[in-house]
Amino acid sequence: MAHESHTKTLPADLSAPPVVNTWRTRALIVGVVFSVIAAGLAFADGSIDHVLRAWLLGLVLTFGFAVGGLALLMVQYVTGGKWGLLLRRPLEAMSRTLPLVFVYWIPIAVFQGKLYMWANHGIVDQALKLGQITQDQVEAIDHAIKWKAPMLNPTSFVVVSVICFAIWGFYTWRLNSLALKRDADSPDNTPFWIKKFENLSGFGILVYSLTMTAVVIYWVMSLDVTWYSSVYGLLFLVGQGYQVLAFAILISIALSQYEPFKTVLRQTEQHDLGKFTFAFVMLNIYLGFAQFLIIWSGNLPEEIPWYLDRIRGHWGIIITLDFIFHWLIPFSLLLSRDIKRNKKRLTRICQWMIFAKAFDLFWLIEPNFKDAARNLHFSWGILEYIAVPVALTAFWFAFFTTRLQTRGLVAINDPHVVEILEPEHAHA
Amino acid sequence: MATSELKPGNPDHGRWIDPATGEFRVLEPGQTFKSVTAKISDIVLTPHTPLGWFALFGIGGAVATFLLTAVTWLFLKGTGIWAVTQPVAWGFAIINFVWWIGIGHAGTLISAILLLFKQGWRNSINRFAEAMTIFAVVCAGMFPLIHVGRPWLGYWLLPYPNSMTVWPQFRSPLLWDVFAVSTYATISVVFWYIGMVPDFGTMRDRAKTPIAQYFYGLISLGWRGSVRHWMRYETASLLLAGLATPLVLSVHTVISFDFAVATLPGWHTTIFPPYFVAGAIYSGFAMVLTLAIPLRKFYHLEALVTERHIDNMGKVMLATGLIVAYGYGMEVFMAWYSASHWEYFMMWNRMFGPMGWSYGVLIFCNIAFPLTTLWVRKLRTNIGFMFLISIVVNTGMWFERFVIVVTSLYRDYLPSSWGTYRATKWDFMTYIGTLGLFTALFLLFVRFLPMIPMNEIKMMLPGAKIKPKEAVAGESH
Repeated sequence: MAHESHTKTLPADLSAPPVVNTWRTRALIVGVVFSVIAAGLAFADGSIDHVLRAWLLGLVLTFGFAVGGLALLMVQYVTGGKWGLLLRRPLEAMSRTLPLVFVYWIPIAVFQGKLYMWANHGIVDQALKLGQITQDQVEAIDHAIKWKAPMLNPTSFVVVSVICFAIWGFYTWRLNSLALKRDADSPDNTPFWIKKFENLSGFGILVYSLTMTAVVIYWVMSLDVTWYSSVYGLLFLVGQGYQVLAFAILISIALSQYEPFKTVLRQTEQHDLGKFTFAFVMLNIYLGFAQFLIIWSGNLPEEIPWYLDRIRGHWGIIITLDFIFHWLIPFSLLLSRDIKRNKKRLTRICQWMIFAKAFDLFWLIEPNFKDAARNLHFSWGILEYIAVPVALTAFWFAFFTTRLQTRGLVAINDPHVVEILEPEHAHA
Repeated sequence: MATSELKPGNPDHGRWIDPATGEFRVLEPGQTFKSVTAKISDIVLTPHTPLGWFALFGIGGAVATFLLTAVTWLFLKGTGIWAVTQPVAWGFAIINFVWWIGIGHAGTLISAILLLFKQGWRNSINRFAEAMTIFAVVCAGMFPLIHVGRPWLGYWLLPYPNSMTVWPQFRSPLLWDVFAVSTYATISVVFWYIGMVPDFGTMRDRAKTPIAQYFYGLISLGWRGSVRHWMRYETASLLLAGLATPLVLSVHTVISFDFAVATLPGWHTTIFPPYFVAGAIYSGFAMVLTLAIPLRKFYHLEALVTERHIDNMGKVMLATGLIVAYGYGMEVFMAWYSASHWEYFMMWNRMFGPMGWSYGVLIFCNIAFPLTTLWVRKLRTNIGFMFLISIVVNTGMWFERFVIVVTSLYRDYLPSSWGTYRATKWDFMTYIGTLGLFTALFLLFVRFLPMIPMNEIKMMLPGAKIKPKEAVAGESH
């Protein structure tokens, strides 16, 4: 019974290691420092316009971690697999950061008149006055605002967003509370719990897809009131998978220097997670490129300006870098089996992917504003895109570490627990 | 199955959970290496072909003659015998092409993607799903070829240096189709064949007649089952799975571009690529069920293709069906949100225009009926019901392509050029004929090749699992 003698034992203490406190302290320091920088930049710029735009980026990024984390939590319940057991507690902790994301959303709701043309026609008038748009464009914008008024208005923006937060909150609460009950129950009841979570998560994924699509149309797509793309929701869905997996791997590897993750994170599962991430890197470029190809080939006046706004006037540099950062680098590196199995290198790639995601959001958000469309230029305000998202993400991370410490890091009532404690070669 | 049935005290607990492992059952209990080999290989090696097989093969062959007749007449008269004309310049041919290619997607998905995801349950169904893929691609590939008008010049589609210095239009997705479909067909055939090699070795060793021994000996490529052979076999399978996985996405994506790069409302929409892929898998799984359910009954394979398989296929259909429904929803929403009169009119016309009935059929068959019932596990494990669902979804997916092609074309920008579409008897004969051809080819496969991979099923048996030495020593097969 050679292999049994090598089987590892789960440590008695499954709680988060003390180093998590250090991470939180560092994150809070970073958050405070970048908040001060953001305030200084706003002062130098003499306006809060860029603070709000960058705040939206920070909101979308942290929303991706929280709600995307909830979605991946449900996906792992539906599909099973050992990777899911490893990521379960980090994903649960990500989902429980939803209250902070809601707080982040409040300034956007309050100041929507500074961001969205449909909420404040003064933005259109100002752009026309400054010669940033033509009279023809104003007519198209006015037609779109009038047509979409039943949906795009300040009240429905708030109502829809609050309903979506309430739905995600319900799923977060239900999945997190049942997870504790499952661990407290007898192992004989595990099949019952597997099905229970499957049933809850199956429908939850459907609800997530619809609600997530609704909010990204409101929060991001409607920044350009005339433009539309039916794959937009799916692009964000896949994008959330991209960033959530990168973050979850990062956390798992960081935790694996200490117990209990030191015992449970095997190279096999790390490799599987790397492959899964690679799939999302591919899906991400697949949808992004398909959208580009279809719109570029069609070359329709309703659609093509959206891309021209993001290519011309020095934005070509950003889109090229976006392609390299967001796809080419992770794709090329994650092809390698050795890199996927190397903790240090995989960590670097995941860090890079989170940066690339934020960079992609910059390319997606900033050109919606007429002063920046086809006109990438330096201002103190543009630096808010670094300061504000870093501050928001740092505070979010600090909150995440708090959530991570509230329960054991490994779910125990799961058939995969035995398997991840076996030596690597047993089921390779 | 209610979740309460999974509690240890429940009388139905053993039906779902294997008491030896505590895991969900995939195969019925009592299978051994020997029984699996005998069950599958005897279907092929028996000298007594069932009468039912002859009857079905006869019907399939007879229906295939429709195709032969229709294609002969087409070659004599030209594509004018079809209903295609302005404004509906694409009709049954493209609808059937997309429908058949879509069906062909499930085979590769099951073989490649589920293999990479280590989904052991796929082992019972992957072989005939792959066969289905190949025959579906055969049926699909015929349509563009016979649609070119002069099929004897079909080779002009390929970019080759020629004296006319004429090259195909590389910017057209129709040309990308040529590469995508031919690559897909090639990889699918190679994957299918490589997967069968170990089983051919078994068939060769069990064959009683010299012809069978010679035939299976020849195609088993000298398989001896040595460790080296298995190692190479596993490596080849993984490599092919890696190659085939992007193909599952790329083929239907390219097909969706056939429509989406045009500027026609109803075709030009960015969600088409993922929605076409999901639709393809949806219809592909429906066809696997259409084939698997009668097969398991006819050849008494219930122990190998179990309720769990039917249930899992139902779940895959539910997931892909929901993506398709999301696609329909986004199309309708964007038709309004675009604030474009053309988009809005297209959707209104699609739903309530003279051909609105076809949209109704599509919504009922693809959404209303399957996506409300497939949530219920009791229905997913009801074999008769699942057979019905599979037929309904296949019908719905055919109508999806009909709706996309016809209802987008027959009333476009200029009201003066509006028309309608009425398929001719030759259109119907060609389509029905391919159903016959597909049936006949599939029956030949069932009769002469092992329809379930013996080697992969055996890997799922308790005897193949790594166990403590004493337990293995005490086990006999």
